Amino acid sequence: MDLEKKFAECGVPLGKKPDEDKLPYIHVVKGQEPYKKKYFAPMREVDKPKDGIHSDIWNISEVIFEERPYVHWGPTPDEARAIKVKENKFLYDKRTTQSEAVKKLIRPGINLGVAGFVNTRCPFSIVWTIVKEALCNKTIQATDMTLSFQSQSLCVEWLLGAMMLDNSRVSVKRVELSWQAFEVIGSGPMWTHCVQGGLIEVDDYTNYGASSRFKAAAMGIPFIPIRDSGGADFEVTNRGVMTKCPFTGRNIYLLPACHPDVAIAHVTAADMYGNCRIFGQTLTCQEILEASVAGIVTCEELISNDAIRNYPNLTIIPFLHVHAVIPQKYGGYPGAVWGYHWFDMDFLREWRATGLELRKKGDIGPLKAYYEKYFYNCDTWEDFLAVVGYKRLANVRNLDMGQRVILD
Amino acid sequence: MATKKVKAGPFEMICLTGARCLEDKTVVFVGTGLPMLASLFAQRTWAPNCNLIFEGGSLGPILWMGLPLSVGDIRAGTRANMVKGLCAVFEGQQRGWSDYAFIGGAEIDKYGNINSTCFGPYQKPKVRFPGSGGAGAMAANSDRIIQILALEKRRFRDKVYYITSLGFGDGTPDYRWKAGAHGRGPYRVITDVALFGYDVGKTNRMMLLEYHPDLSVEQIQDRCELELLISPDVKPMPLPTDEQLNLMVTEVDPEHWFLGKMVED
Repeated sequence: MDLEKKFAECGVPLGKKPDEDKLPYIHVVKGQEPYKKKYFAPMREVDKPKDGIHSDIWNISEVIFEERPYVHWGPTPDEARAIKVKENKFLYDKRTTQSEAVKKLIRPGINLGVAGFVNTRCPFSIVWTIVKEALCNKTIQATDMTLSFQSQSLCVEWLLGAMMLDNSRVSVKRVELSWQAFEVIGSGPMWTHCVQGGLIEVDDYTNYGASSRFKAAAMGIPFIPIRDSGGADFEVTNRGVMTKCPFTGRNIYLLPACHPDVAIAHVTAADMYGNCRIFGQTLTCQEILEASVAGIVTCEELISNDAIRNYPNLTIIPFLHVHAVIPQKYGGYPGAVWGYHWFDMDFLREWRATGLELRKKGDIGPLKAYYEKYFYNCDTWEDFLAVVGYKRLANVRNLDMGQRVILD
Repeated sequence: MATKKVKAGPFEMICLTGARCLEDKTVVFVGTGLPMLASLFAQRTWAPNCNLIFEGGSLGPILWMGLPLSVGDIRAGTRANMVKGLCAVFEGQQRGWSDYAFIGGAEIDKYGNINSTCFGPYQKPKVRFPGSGGAGAMAANSDRIIQILALEKRRFRDKVYYITSLGFGDGTPDYRWKAGAHGRGPYRVITDVALFGYDVGKTNRMMLLEYHPDLSVEQIQDRCELELLISPDVKPMPLPTDEQLNLMVTEVDPEHWFLGKMVED
């Protein structure tokens, strides 16, 4: 682990601390061997199923799987903490534009944590900007990325679609996830295409598994015990470990913390320092932001720090985990944002139809036309919204039916 | 629409049969799609005090805006007793909140283990599905699991390609305990033409309880690759009444995402 390198490339403004060369709180084991696949190697030798860990799951299903050594797919817990400790932690104006934020923080090889849930309050405008800057403007390279999230839809599809068009500008190497599709509309065509084609490495968890990995990271602990995944094939394929509880003696499944390099989220309201309020389902946004080294947040409303201090209980994500704040109306379109708008199902269907042309017929033409229409021909997210048109935006706004939010 | 009569198609059957498995005064952790239909229908009929949990983070909402199209949908959070995030509701579930989990999947084996991940090798699958979502956690932690699948030979198999949502594991009595999971395990399997339970505590294998009156027990077995146990009390399943069908299309799914698509001439 080269901490100096991590400090240099993390994109987070770091302060000078008097004793920064010493960093006594970091313990680095140089040249540590990565785990072999953990529990079942010894268990199979011992072959004592009685009070041991249940490991006989290979025979229950037809799972076919190649073991892989354990490696962190992003910063280690110690690296993430070291950067947080060294960081500038005072209140300063973090307002910027999406292009600037993306140019500053997105770089090849990062682990990108995507907040939101399926189509709900997902950071669509930030993902759009990443694709726009990387694919169209060629100002950044969003290559070799690892995506981490619980459940997503179009955000991830847009990134995978961009990879299909030009993988020298946008590419996804690995995905650690729970779920990727469009709920009632159906499967995600690019996701299916990429995984079935062996183009990306995947690591599956349950929604709670994925969420709790961010939670562990947010808590500053290296792993978290959970009650699911054990006994199912997650135990074989994912990077968790079955162990015995030292207190009850019962088996329990441990998942490693997940620290993204950059987390992106769309929230209801934020102040210029990055204190965020979220109304409606808070999803895993807090955990993902707090787990991440750097955080980019778009908000429907920019509110004052005074308003934040009126109801400090309403702050879901504190300023310490946010590094760029961008007020962006409809930043969660075509998903749903509580109090602002509902889903645009037709827009999501349009993508699915486009993606299926590539997946089923191998025709990349419609995909190119889609990116031409919604990315190349639009300079900003506002231009994108103009292409979508006022009628549709007004319609989805009405479908929200006035859910309540507190902004003062 | 008003003049035409709705036909009881597969979704209407699933909606009614699923709802029949739910009791009033319980808490149900609801998955996306068909489970929502059944729970909403139960809530509008015999289980008005059946509180729902949606994994987006809502506990006990009143679904006045219509059928939620996602478990994180605004519609799944309206007028709720509590709205937080995924961790909050899943942790509550580990703590013992939910009596039933209502989940779907792509294929199921005789011990109620469900696959919703992939067909074929995990790393380069023949068919890749969306993934677990909340189902894996719901199956491990709710007291009982109600499962919804379409009855097809390729879905009711002896062994599945991947176990995403744990059922009875290998059928041994302590499998779930050793796996670290909570809950008693699978309870009912809802399909469009049959209702299954399990031989709980003995073989833990899937057992036919009710069959569609248009079909015979043998025809149901023919539609499964796995070998079914047949309950000694096996009987034909009730079909939705006109009143129930009317409720389905006017209140449960008025936008016809699933229901009311088939009408009689």
